[in-house]
Formats: sequence, C-alpha cells, structure tokens
Amino acid sequence: MRWDFASVFANTDALLAGAAGTLRIFAICLVLGLGLGLVVGLGRYARTKWLYLPATAFVEFFRNTPVLVQILWFYFALPILMPFEISPLTAASLGISLNSAAFSAEIYRAGTQSIDRGQWDGARALGMRWGQAMRRIVLPQAIKRMLPALTNRAIEIFKMTTLASAVAYVELLQQGKLIASLNYNPIEAYTAVAVIFLVFLWPLVQFTYVLERRLKRDE
Amino acid sequence: MAYQWDFTPVLANAPLLVQGLLNTLKVTGTSLVFGLALGLALALLRLSPRRAFAWPAGLVIEVFRTTPPLVQLFWFFFALPLLVGIEMTAFMAAVVTFSIQSAAFFAEVFRGGIVSIERGQWDGARAIGMNHAQALRRIILPQAVKRMIPAFMERAIELMKTTTLVATISYADLLFAANEIAQKTFRPLETFTVAALIYFVVIFAFSLIAQLLERRLAVSGESTVH
Repeated sequence: MRWDFASVFANTDALLAGAAGTLRIFAICLVLGLGLGLVVGLGRYARTKWLYLPATAFVEFFRNTPVLVQILWFYFALPILMPFEISPLTAASLGISLNSAAFSAEIYRAGTQSIDRGQWDGARALGMRWGQAMRRIVLPQAIKRMLPALTNRAIEIFKMTTLASAVAYVELLQQGKLIASLNYNPIEAYTAVAVIFLVFLWPLVQFTYVLERRLKRDE
Repeated sequence: MAYQWDFTPVLANAPLLVQGLLNTLKVTGTSLVFGLALGLALALLRLSPRRAFAWPAGLVIEVFRTTPPLVQLFWFFFALPLLVGIEMTAFMAAVVTFSIQSAAFFAEVFRGGIVSIERGQWDGARAIGMNHAQALRRIILPQAVKRMIPAFMERAIELMKTTTLVATISYADLLFAANEIAQKTFRPLETFTVAALIYFVVIFAFSLIAQLLERRLAVSGESTVH
C-alpha cells in the first residue's frame, strides 16, 4: 500500500469549498448557540416559574438527546409540519445551535451563580435595577470565569459541524467522502480531512489551556 | 391544513426500534469497557516521568480530543481496513473509534483524579514499603476513582449520544432503525419524534442517576466536577 496524496491535492478546490462550508455553519451555530444560550441561561436563573420552567425543559431536552437525532428530526420531520422546504444548512444549524444553546445556558448559569452575593447587594445599594446590575456588574465578572468553558463549547461546535454531512450539507467531511468515492482513495482523503480539522482546532485547544491556566492562577 | 398524526405505523415496527436500542446499548457498553481500560493506560503513560511514554500518550489524547468523532469513524471504517488489509464490520469500526475516542477523554479524567490525591498518600505508601505500582493500585486509585465518578458518568452519557454516529455507516442502531422505518412507512415526523423521545428517556434516566450520585458524593466532599 503506497500513500499517494496527489489525488487529494488534485481536489483542493473541493476541499476549499468544504472548508468554506464548515466555517460558514460554524459561524452561524456559534452566534446562535451562544446567543440563545445566554437567553436560556438567564431564564434558568429567573425566579418566575414562567421563565424558569420552559428554560429548564429546553435545557434538559436538548442536553439529553443526541445532536444527530435532532438534525435528522429537523430535516425529515419538521418539513411535514411546515409549509416550506428545510435546507440541509437550516436543519443542521437548527440542531447544532439549539444543542449548543442548552449546553452554553448551563455555562452562563453556573458562571453567574458563582459571583458573590455581595456584588448584587452592592449594585442594588448604588440604585441599579436587576438588569443593570446583571449587565454592568455581574456578567462582566462572570464572563471571565466562563471563558474557558465557552471556548471549549466553541471547539465542540466546530467538531459537531461534521454531522451536517449526514444531510449532505457541503462541508469538509462531505467533500472528503466525495473525493474518496471519486478517486478510490479513502485513506488519503479521510486522513487529509482529519489533518485539516487538527490544523483548525489545535490552536484553539491550546488557547483554551492557556485561559484555564490563567484563570486558575488568578483565583 | 392540519397534519394528521398517526403513530400506528411506528408502533407496528416497535420490534425494530427495540432491536435498535439494544444495539445502541451494545456499542455503548462495549466501547465504555474498552474506553475505560485504555483511558487508564493512557493516563498512567501520560503521567510517567519518562518522555518516551508520556509524549506519545499525550499526542494520542490530544489528537482524539481535537478531531471530530465522525471523521475518526470514517477513517477507521473506510481507511484502516485498506491500510492493514482486514475486514471491518460497522460494529467493529464503531467500537474501535468510540473506545479510543472516549479513552482520550477518560484519560484526562483519570489524570485529574490521580493528580488530585495529595503527595502525603504517596509518601505514606512508600514509607510502609510499597513500590510505585502497589501504591497506585492499593492507595491512590481507590481514592481517585471515587472522586472521578461524576465525571465518568458525564463522559459515559456523552459516549451514548456519540454512538448515534454509527447510523451513518449503516449499523442498525436506534437512529438507523428509525431512519429505515421513516422511509418504509412515509411517517418521518412520528418515527423521528418517537426515536428522539426514546433517546431522551434513556439518557435522561442516566443523567438523573449521575446527578444523584454527584450530590451524594458532594456531601462527603469527594467530587472533581466543577
């Protein structure tokens, strides 16, 4: 068996298109997942049960079902209830974003809860309302503590984007499949895809380690 | 136009779903056993003072934590058999992938647990004449494992969710069975909803047990989950 990456390099265009697709869905899911997660996390923190209960149900459901099941549900099941088609990108983004929202909601909640009661009292004493205290005093401090967990989530989201290939969305793994089936070179094609993911994610992982170490030192 | 929900075609195929769930549990269980054993070995190698052991173990752990599991699965299913010239069933590929992948995560849990045991325990074991391996087996690991239980449960639950990926290489797990039924009955909405609910019930039950254990261990101050 001889390794021959020439057949992979000949398809650089396809891989580039795949990388663009991966980055695109990653950006969508990162923004939606972490943004919606903040909303749900605040809901989990709320004292009214009208906010607390739905937020909790959302978190428990999406944390306790596999993402791939969610993606296939959005792709095959949801269109039956909706009057319009659902594209692979929409289905995969919905699944990954909602799943990530559930996980990041817990990060936000744990982060805000870790802030000392006295910070709230101090903000209140200065005449701030709940929303102001949260935005100006609690969140800025909490974000620092949450940062390593949030970058870990981002890495997870990046890895999850490969699941979009199950609904034939054009991303790196999907392109790898295509190249492997056209050139009969699965060894090289899938090795190349794995290496590309390593190149993207390795720096991010090392950055997270730095953040974790810095946080440990500061506290 | 309101959609008419009809679960009877799904119920008629219940045996397929049950078989799928059993296969899911089979892959999860097998990968869990191998993953734990391999994870412990990787952790011990990574903690070794010898560079020649620590470095390759660290590399395996980092590579498998950093690449997407689906890419790993495809590599082990489509590429590895050609490289080494063996036949690989979907089940074997899944077990190999998820064992190594979860081992990489378990290794970090083991390492965290072992490192968290204070120096004095090692010194004490040494003082009563134990060698390194004895101290590890009799003194350190029993204490460390107790602290690691919540993190293990969390990883095991992650593993179970990850096993759904085997459906993409046509292993008849619960998700694959659901896909088959959806195509056969033209009832994707009902089928995938039922499949999602089955996953939810099983995984949520495990999560509740994990939370219970975590709370109990937290009472005795023995948890490493933060």
